[in-house]
Amino acid sequence: MRRILLFARREYKAAVKTKGFIIGLVLAPILMGGGMIAFVLLKDRVDTTDKRLAVVDRTGKVAEALVAAAENRNAKEIHHPETGKKVRPSYYIEVVTPSASDPKTQRLELSDRIRNGSLYAFVEIGPDAIHPGKDREASRILFYAKNAAMDDLRSWVGGPINDRLRELRLADAGIKPSDVKDLFYWVGVEGMGLVSVDKETGTIGEGRSASPVEALVIPIVIMLLMFLMIMMSVPGMLHSVMEEKTQRIAEVLLGSIRPFEFMMAKVLGGIAVALTSSAVYIVGGILVVRYMGLEEYVPFQLLPWFFAYMLLAIIMFGAWAAALGSTCSEAKDAQSLSLPTMLPAFFPMFIYFPIAKEPMGSFATSMSLIPPFTPLLMTLRLGTPGGVPAWQPWVGLVGVLLFTVFFVWVGGRIFRVAILMQGTPPKLSNILRWAFRG
Amino acid sequence: MAAIELESITKTFGKHTAVDTLSLSVPEGSVYGFIGPNGSGKTTTLRMIMNIIPPDSGKIKVLGAPLTPSTTDRIGYMPEERGLYRRMKVRELLQFFGSLKSENNVKTKVDQWLERLDLTAWANKQVETLSKGMAQKVQFIATVVAEPELVLLDEPFTGLDPVNTDVIKDAILGFQARGATVIFSTHDMSMAEKMCDFIFMIFKGKKVLDGTLSSIQDKYATDTLRIRIGDGAGALQNIDGIEKVNDFGQMQELRLAPAADPQKILHEILRRTTVRSFDITKPSLHDIFIRIAGPEAKEVNHA
Repeated sequence: MRRILLFARREYKAAVKTKGFIIGLVLAPILMGGGMIAFVLLKDRVDTTDKRLAVVDRTGKVAEALVAAAENRNAKEIHHPETGKKVRPSYYIEVVTPSASDPKTQRLELSDRIRNGSLYAFVEIGPDAIHPGKDREASRILFYAKNAAMDDLRSWVGGPINDRLRELRLADAGIKPSDVKDLFYWVGVEGMGLVSVDKETGTIGEGRSASPVEALVIPIVIMLLMFLMIMMSVPGMLHSVMEEKTQRIAEVLLGSIRPFEFMMAKVLGGIAVALTSSAVYIVGGILVVRYMGLEEYVPFQLLPWFFAYMLLAIIMFGAWAAALGSTCSEAKDAQSLSLPTMLPAFFPMFIYFPIAKEPMGSFATSMSLIPPFTPLLMTLRLGTPGGVPAWQPWVGLVGVLLFTVFFVWVGGRIFRVAILMQGTPPKLSNILRWAFRG
Repeated sequence: MAAIELESITKTFGKHTAVDTLSLSVPEGSVYGFIGPNGSGKTTTLRMIMNIIPPDSGKIKVLGAPLTPSTTDRIGYMPEERGLYRRMKVRELLQFFGSLKSENNVKTKVDQWLERLDLTAWANKQVETLSKGMAQKVQFIATVVAEPELVLLDEPFTGLDPVNTDVIKDAILGFQARGATVIFSTHDMSMAEKMCDFIFMIFKGKKVLDGTLSSIQDKYATDTLRIRIGDGAGALQNIDGIEKVNDFGQMQELRLAPAADPQKILHEILRRTTVRSFDITKPSLHDIFIRIAGPEAKEVNHA
């Protein structure tokens, strides 16, 4: 044990004393959370260039309302109410008389105007849009632009057009729109957490408003943190074992320690690296959420599960990585084995979103009980506001524990043969033979 | 007591028998030389003694006991291929390797060895900045810093200049003086002749020589004439009674036919050229090695 700890300490120091580790510690969350940070920082940065929209109104009754709505918007919503700074583009509506004889040519002409920049987009309102009939084509509203799929103007224009269409339909039905002002008032359905009794006062508390931050962001961030810890420690084991083998350090070490001790020392070193990184991130994370006043959303009760699953995941994947590293005789072998080594850790990342959305579904439950996926997926489910039935994380833990023992056993058998085997490529048949016949 | 006792050990890799029913007894406190051609089984034998790989059959006793992790703690092993962490600093690396073998603090010993091998100035440099010879010396210190009772050195002199060769040679003899047993494999026959109390030769996995140099040489007749002549090896062609000429440039080693008269041969050489020195002797270890493992042995085996 003394030698394992001594060797593990060397592995730990070799990993954390490098500039790469420190840079990685800072950069990894920035890169992984970069999208979110960029979204927050850039969400108010919109293009304020004014936009001209042509309207081909084949109903003859909608265009004027659209002009009025645009003028109203331009007057009220374009400038910041306090600073007066322009924060949105103005929309200018150009009403175009529909061509009855040659609509295709008209569309081409308008498209050419968009191409030459004199127009931003044009919208064509079908003749039956007020009362859609059997001819679906005649009731369509079509928006033409260079990038029509993702366009703020398209999103906006749908509102005033449909408001006007509803007014026209009411009028045709003999109802004055002013008599039913609240007809179009949309009442949203708010998500709430369950109501419970306050243990201290005995009073029935209020259900807490369910937040997307709590439901999705927090569990995903916790799972990503564990994934980050695995990625910061496990692939390194594959490469360092390969280096020790190819640079013949392994033979020197094997004069002092047994192959199994060798492998476990690598794994312990990896665990120490992960604990260091996770301590930095968790303490840093807690300080950040406190600063932002979001600590009520952080599931602190999850931390013991997080660490238990993370440790087992690193032992499980680490033993596997060290074993595969011992089969490599050159750097390109290690490169080609990196993906299969990390695949059990990658797979949960492909399916996490549907699981976070429905954490109690049968898909989520079954996937999170498959041992290689359990650490990441069970942690994700545990982080969701409703949690999971109490038995599931325990069953998951036992499964992971058994699988970890199996991985360490198989890894140890591969490692002890392969570490001294120079010039033998890491073929699947060899790996299986070493694993089961020794 | 024997430091090492090998009893009919065999090791195969697939269809290849690397070591074949090998028995060997290495006396405590001796310097034992392992010689043999490349791929003959020397390294495999050393690895089995170190418990790095187990034999398929046979028994190994080291320092009076069967092999266990606590036994291997008393052995220092320097493999043929040097293996050092390139990004570690020299002193830090030596303390790490020393601590793996010894529970005692090895810091002082590391510094003493660094000074002895003239590496103190490099103690805080990374291993990757060292020359090949310096790295070799660092590897040697890593092997011996925990003061093992048995030292196994696979090719310890490869890549060393004469000065450093002498430093390592003196260190080996120093271990012997304090009672340690040293085994080293080498392709340098003259070094084996000069340093080893016993020489063991393995060829195709089998033991072919084992004993003191003189006992080995005694198995061969006094059939070797070492000579220095004026006109080089050309003057030695077509002389009756000479079986083989081994030309070293400045000196030639002649193997005489079994019934040949050395006096007559010397007389014939004197007639052809100037003889600066000569010596009628038993074959050198180099010659014995060639006779066993060289092309002529293959010819005899194939005949």
